[in-house]
Amino acid sequence: MMKNDLAIPSGRNELGEAINEFIPFFLQELKPKGKIFTPFNVISGAIILVGAILIAFRLFKGLGAATHLSQDFPWGVWIGFDVMTGVAFAGGAYTLTFAVYILGVDKYHPIIRATVLNGFLAYVFYAGALLLDLGRPWNVINPIIGNDFGVSSVLFLVAWHFLLYMLAQFIEFSPVIAEWGGWPKLRKVLSSLTVGAVIFGITLSTLHQSGLGALFLMARDKIHPLWYTEFIPLLFFVSSIFAGLSLVIIEGSISHKVFSDQIPEEHHAGEKEIILGLGKGCAIVMFAYLFIKLLVFVHGHQWKFIATPMGGWFLTEIGGFVVLPLIMYVNGVRNKQVSLVRMASILTALGIVLNRLNICIIAFKWNAPVRYFPSWIEIEITLAVIFLEIWVFRWVVNRMPVMRKPPEWATNDH
Amino acid sequence: MENFTYVDVFSTKGVEYIVVIVFLILIVWYWNFIRDKEL
Repeated sequence: MMKNDLAIPSGRNELGEAINEFIPFFLQELKPKGKIFTPFNVISGAIILVGAILIAFRLFKGLGAATHLSQDFPWGVWIGFDVMTGVAFAGGAYTLTFAVYILGVDKYHPIIRATVLNGFLAYVFYAGALLLDLGRPWNVINPIIGNDFGVSSVLFLVAWHFLLYMLAQFIEFSPVIAEWGGWPKLRKVLSSLTVGAVIFGITLSTLHQSGLGALFLMARDKIHPLWYTEFIPLLFFVSSIFAGLSLVIIEGSISHKVFSDQIPEEHHAGEKEIILGLGKGCAIVMFAYLFIKLLVFVHGHQWKFIATPMGGWFLTEIGGFVVLPLIMYVNGVRNKQVSLVRMASILTALGIVLNRLNICIIAFKWNAPVRYFPSWIEIEITLAVIFLEIWVFRWVVNRMPVMRKPPEWATNDH
Repeated sequence: MENFTYVDVFSTKGVEYIVVIVFLILIVWYWNFIRDKEL
């Protein structure tokens, strides 16, 4: 790690020196660490490479050539999975930062950096994937700079929130970058911004998580009545809480194995309590979610549609991917069975994927004669985005103090 | 679809109130149930 007493250069010469020191350090850090040709690297590398070529193909040839999207089905797997599901899964960041920095539940402090990093990368990559879905990607800047802000659309809110939330998360994570670079004074300044960024991030998240659901409010006649409700925004927000926590359990379990050599012994010992605590949070929120779903079911007179094929599909989503993981979470937490909690988190995550895809694709124009199914190009690009995000996550964790303890000179807890 | 559908939101209010009250009662029991073996 670079040691640099000139944490904040005060003059032009000092700035130049700092940059001259940083560039070779950064180039050194770009070199791969560990084995290069592992099965994971080979497979994911090939997918990323093919994905890059296909992205160029999509940009040059247009949406029609690369996707099965149409006027009838304008939103496909890039919106339904990358944006809707990906952003829901990133909800672990605001939930956990609320628990740690606002409620003071220090038990989860060991995993907060990895969670914030995951949330930041999720928004960066999935907002990036959103660019691919736009017919005219260069117009993405319009809600920000004017040229027709589009204030009558929920997307105006979503665009601003995504931008501001990425900034807030970057600020939350920036002390880690300062520790990596060896800049103590900069780290102190950035740490002082953490709580403010957390509060700002949580405030933003409540609205854009529900805002993604609000995008469907005007599609009343297009979404099956079992999924359409004026309370979609509330359901999206509440489900993002346990979606995020479930993904923290999954990601934490995988990272704990993959990066186990970086994790301090006391954090290894505390892993079980962390997972059980997260499971308990999921169990409570999912219980509330089920009651909200029941209220919506009664309020919207949805029982009329239960005895239909889509009704069976709805019951599959609720029964198999909400009620069942809820029971597993409760049993896992009560009996302190971490493996049961992990299985519940996987089922919950699948349930969130199913719920978002149902609203966006499957229950969208469910009775149309010609339905949408993603092209192989859409699926390949989606996988490439996911693997590239994992590569970036791995790059950061292997170099910055995310899993391992921060340096001795980083005295405060952020 | 071009049909106008009317749903009487007040017809289910009684059931909705019962659902909410049941939730508020059950959440107390549920919280204790999850914590039960920890105590």
